Amino acid sequence: MQLNGKVPIRGALTAITATLLGSGVVHADPKGKVESSVLLYSETNRVSAAEGVFSLTRFLKKDRILNARLTLDGLTGSSPNGATPSNNIQTFTRPSGSDSYKVKAGKTPLDDTFRDRRVGLDGSLTLPVNRLTKLILGAHLSAEQDYTSFGTSAGMTRDIFRKNTTLSASIAFSHDLVTPVAGAPTPLSDMAQPTRSNGEESEGGPSESKNIFDVVVGVTQVINRTTLLRVNYSVDHASGYLNDPYKIVSIVQGQSSAQPGEPTRYINESRPRNRTKRAAYAELRHYIGGHTIDLSYRYFNDSWGIRSQTVDFRYHLPLKVGHSIEPHFRWYHQTQANFYQSYLLDGAGLPNSVSADYRLAPFHAITAGLQYLFPFEEGTHLSLGVEYYQQFGDLSPPAAMGPLSQKNLFPELKAVMVRLGFSYDL
Amino acid sequence: MTKRLRFALSVSAIALLFGSLSGCAPIGVQVWERDILAKQEMQLDYQAIDMSLDDHIYFSKEGSSGGRGFGGGGCGCN
Repeated sequence: MQLNGKVPIRGALTAITATLLGSGVVHADPKGKVESSVLLYSETNRVSAAEGVFSLTRFLKKDRILNARLTLDGLTGSSPNGATPSNNIQTFTRPSGSDSYKVKAGKTPLDDTFRDRRVGLDGSLTLPVNRLTKLILGAHLSAEQDYTSFGTSAGMTRDIFRKNTTLSASIAFSHDLVTPVAGAPTPLSDMAQPTRSNGEESEGGPSESKNIFDVVVGVTQVINRTTLLRVNYSVDHASGYLNDPYKIVSIVQGQSSAQPGEPTRYINESRPRNRTKRAAYAELRHYIGGHTIDLSYRYFNDSWGIRSQTVDFRYHLPLKVGHSIEPHFRWYHQTQANFYQSYLLDGAGLPNSVSADYRLAPFHAITAGLQYLFPFEEGTHLSLGVEYYQQFGDLSPPAAMGPLSQKNLFPELKAVMVRLGFSYDL
Repeated sequence: MTKRLRFALSVSAIALLFGSLSGCAPIGVQVWERDILAKQEMQLDYQAIDMSLDDHIYFSKEGSSGGRGFGGGGCGCN
């Protein structure tokens, strides 16, 4: 081989030295990379959120890679509290515990004081053990007004078969604290009454915690010159306080009562204190005629009885002078948790576990979007993406439940996401 | 338990299949055939930050998580 320094040879060497699997982007002489992304998320008549991520990657001596990531997000708006609609005005205690809010007759009850900010810090260090094996160590800290999470992770990758196959295994542990302003409510207890009416937040209250263990194992396989396949299997076990402290369940009058379907009181939700999630994930990436197709499928089930399937499709379509567009489509379907109930009947006794959180209900969802990528100069890219997300559910109670039978108890969710991304090679 | 076992076995079978087939002629490439695989859009961590933002949204709005990476906590998302 003649190493005369001409571009084709250098290009070929760059391609050869690319370890490809999990190695990131190929650079000529990179010292690092800066990546940033801002996401604006807006649900129709509900939550709006803004999230920004700033990531710095440094390529160090001996092929070590250091990454630090800062995430800032804030959200505000209305979130369903889990209660059913009523023919009368309903009054609920605010999460602060000090005040109340009213919901009009016939409307899905939404807590309209939803507001939070989050700061997240993530760091990781990739250490080559030898030519084929890498160790990746990580840590994270995330803090919100009512939630704190600390965690660590460790992973290993091993290339085999001339780097055509990469085996990977990772473990993670996270300890999370749930600290609502008015304290974490006791499961199945009645919704608290407002402590004050002057709008001031009450102080303190019991906090709760949970521990989460994650394991992910995977195989990435080069099929041929244009096709890659990745298969992952993940198991996640959470134990501790797994409730959403802001979700309640309506207890409604039975079918033979004077006003079937009308609420008599509200209780705090109660979820099991353990949950094991399992997910199998396969992703195929294929290059054809200058275009790239990315197709993935995930099958998920958990010990709460939820089963879900997700199909995700992205198409990278190059345009002139380095510009490109990427259409994206995602389809999702889940079954309900076995303790999910839109409401409980008065006088029927309380189950050990119950939640009316729509995220544990049966539904399907679609995402459709388009992203445009602009190159500025070598190593610098800007991207702008817009996506639409909608959930569809049907939770109509039986006809005997009076006015409730006229309503779909699944709260409608439609959202628009706008994402602006930037990456720069150092 | 049988369902879990079947689920785990099917995943292991897929993993084993591709692991073992890579020793055979039709699967995999030689080092000088990695030109296309080296392209930015063929990297599996291409647009990793955007993917993490998406996963955060879906973790907050749906009952499932995990698969591509860790599926655990990290936020009290609503």
